[in-house]
Amino acid sequence: MAFLIRTIDFTAAGREIVRDRTIEQSELTIGRAAENDIHLPDLAVEQRHVRLFEAGDGMLGAESIGGLGFGINGRTEKSASIDPSVGAELALGSARLVISREAGAPVQITIKQVEKDEGAADALVGFELASALPSKRTMAWTFAALILVLLLSVPIVTHLTRDPVENDPENLTKGQVALDSTWSTGELSLAHHELEENCEACHVTPFVSVQDETCLTCHEELGEHAEMPRLANGMPPLSTGDAIQWNIAQTLGKEGPLGCVSCHSEHEGPIKLEASDQQFCADCHTDLDARLTDVSFGNAADFGDKHPQFRPQFFTAYSADKPKRISFSNKPVERSGLIFPHDVHVDENSGVARMAISLDQYGEPLECSDCHSEWSDEALIVKVTEQGGKPSDFGDFAPVNMEESCEACHSLVFDRAGPNFRNLRHGDVDDLMADLATMNRGPRQPVTAVRDRPGHFGRGGRYSVNFGRPMSAYIAVNRALEKTGVCGECHIPTTTNGRRDLIPVNLPHRFLMKGAFNHAAHDDDVAECVDCHATDTSDEASDLLIPDLDSCRDCHLGESAVETEEIVPSSCAMCHGYHTPTAPWRPEDHDLPGNGGNDTVAAILSSLRR
Amino acid sequence: MASIPGNRYAQDEKRRSADHVSFLKHKRFRYLWVALILSLLSIVGYAFIDQEPRPNGGSWYGYTLGTIGLLLIVWLSLLGVRKRKITEGQWSLKAWTSAHVYLGLALIVIGTLHTGFQIGWNVHTLAYVLMLIVIISGIYGVYTYATLPSSLSSNRKEMTRAQMLEALTALDRQLEAAAQPLDREQSDLVIDALGQDVFYGGALARLTGAYPGCKTKRALKRIDPNGSEAEARVHTLLSKRSDQLAQIRRHLRIRALLEVWLFIHIPATIALLAALLAHVVSVFYYW
Repeated sequence: MAFLIRTIDFTAAGREIVRDRTIEQSELTIGRAAENDIHLPDLAVEQRHVRLFEAGDGMLGAESIGGLGFGINGRTEKSASIDPSVGAELALGSARLVISREAGAPVQITIKQVEKDEGAADALVGFELASALPSKRTMAWTFAALILVLLLSVPIVTHLTRDPVENDPENLTKGQVALDSTWSTGELSLAHHELEENCEACHVTPFVSVQDETCLTCHEELGEHAEMPRLANGMPPLSTGDAIQWNIAQTLGKEGPLGCVSCHSEHEGPIKLEASDQQFCADCHTDLDARLTDVSFGNAADFGDKHPQFRPQFFTAYSADKPKRISFSNKPVERSGLIFPHDVHVDENSGVARMAISLDQYGEPLECSDCHSEWSDEALIVKVTEQGGKPSDFGDFAPVNMEESCEACHSLVFDRAGPNFRNLRHGDVDDLMADLATMNRGPRQPVTAVRDRPGHFGRGGRYSVNFGRPMSAYIAVNRALEKTGVCGECHIPTTTNGRRDLIPVNLPHRFLMKGAFNHAAHDDDVAECVDCHATDTSDEASDLLIPDLDSCRDCHLGESAVETEEIVPSSCAMCHGYHTPTAPWRPEDHDLPGNGGNDTVAAILSSLRR
Repeated sequence: MASIPGNRYAQDEKRRSADHVSFLKHKRFRYLWVALILSLLSIVGYAFIDQEPRPNGGSWYGYTLGTIGLLLIVWLSLLGVRKRKITEGQWSLKAWTSAHVYLGLALIVIGTLHTGFQIGWNVHTLAYVLMLIVIISGIYGVYTYATLPSSLSSNRKEMTRAQMLEALTALDRQLEAAAQPLDREQSDLVIDALGQDVFYGGALARLTGAYPGCKTKRALKRIDPNGSEAEARVHTLLSKRSDQLAQIRRHLRIRALLEVWLFIHIPATIALLAALLAHVVSVFYYW
């Protein structure tokens, strides 16, 4: 077998010197000693280091002689099998022996010296992931700096340098503070949704919690539940834990437990304001009289179990200046100054019913709504503007109007002027006097020009009796204001300064002033008028036909009552609002984006969340 | 104490045996128990303490959890400082590491309860998410440290990293010689293959082990193994090179899987500390 040994050296100038020699042997040795077939003058190489030999099938074997390994294809081995047609590289010291064979040619061993690779250790760095990624420190500082600048410094700086405005419900200055929406812990309630990008409208001063004063810049019209020291005195003492909490909170500048935000917490999502539960009211009201001894109303904790008897407000004496509040327990008697038996008017078999049937205006027996109609919006607005007060002061029903509701039967016609009838003016005794004074005092005109009594024979043979009212006698000035006169039908005669007069009618617009009642919620599906107002058994106007506590409890029990077809669990908020104790808690009075339909995404979400 | 030989022996013995206990099992899982109890107490408190109007970070319980969480995060992140200071005695690094792992896990519970499950696009949730990223990357780190080193050594097949590179260099020299008879087009393929950096490919290539732009593979595909003798030889050498590259790349992949968590854990920790600062300041700034 032949080996072609090719040695490649370089001159100092870099020129390549190639020397070839052929060895005809079946094996050869490589080492530092001169007797080796391939002599490598390198201290790193053994005297006799490797033996190359024929291993059959054209393969070569390589074997360490001294027991020290040699490099082959980058690995250190003590023996190896080499296919010269594929090739291999032996490494001995700084020499690299490339073994190869062309077809039909002898095995060629090319010897080259390699420079010691100074960069090898550096190359190992490439194995580390760090060589393929930005450094941890760079990333860390970059992220931290981004956060501290964008999410902390920018909002603070823009907040400190903004132009503060006292009150900005119109959102005119929204967005003065940049990027502070990233500080929001959650969406605002629907009522405050407009302020979403206007954090500084509420968060006015750095590190100072939202102050009541700020809330009141917009909500100035809001009713106080009670005056401030009284409100605090009415509260039950805080538990030790709560007291500690509030102490800490107040030391840090929070408003106390009676501050706006202690109940109205924000950033809880786009929800509607919800009514407080019964316990919220009961916390104070269950034993309020123990702390506020001068309180004028009873304790309350649960409408079914613990609620004071109603005290409707009405006129308790004729001609009284002001109405009074009297509890139903004291058998109240109303002195409205009116004579009116409800029973006769609502009885379907009475003469009143017959009369009503005979009149086109009614056509059937009287119903409550024939006299009691709900306010028309215009009428209510007029009333509210005339008398001041709020719409809720005027109850659900407009006052009964004599001309519209009574006069169809209780006629005030007193005279005839040509084809027209003259009516007495209603409402003022002086007007009445004046009208009567102008009355035609002539003899009664016969109704027809026929004979007026039997015996007077007439050609037509027809008789007629004048059954017309004895007008002049009946409504004479003296008689009209008497008990049996035309006014006395409904009014109580009296004498004022020696002159005949009538007791003025004093009917309040609303009876239950301290709680709300909604007639619309109790319409025909729920109850008939007479179920609550005992008109069918009342024969005197002095009967107070307002339902008492027990009537309401037929259906309404406390919050924890079990709901059935009859029973409606009722919390305090159904009739009393915290800020409006005489009106119910009614957020629909507010013009809120969320109080329209219930089909907005936000509303659905908030209901789901609840 | 050191003067009493018996004690000294017992002490040394204790230390020796302690040296071989994993930080996870340190002191019979002491910090695992601490973490479990802490988590359990937080959950029980969350369930039974009535928070008005609803649980969130702003209730007294929320502030309490938040304070505990903040202190834990700051303390646990100080492991990076602690491990650079060689000390003896009570504050053993193993105890720190053990506490770091288990109390870090407890932070999932404490942090989540602190949020009151109110999540949004804000700096507060950013801090929470960063905390979760830190913890999850940490869990991954512990897992890889327990499982991957064995596959790393089995892949090496007793070669050092230097030898792997050397083997590649040896193959490259042979390729250089063997490719001499090839024509221009094929020579270019070999030049491209040899010219490509061993560590070519970014972090993603390392993590997935996918190197779609590998020039050696391309050359392998285009040089006909049944062509001329030179082509066949070059092809054989290229497939050897490809095998060697594969070993190196497996090594890179395992290394990358082993190291990548720190590239998330550490920057996310620092970002978390920044986000925490922003979170706390912003909450009280807009109180």
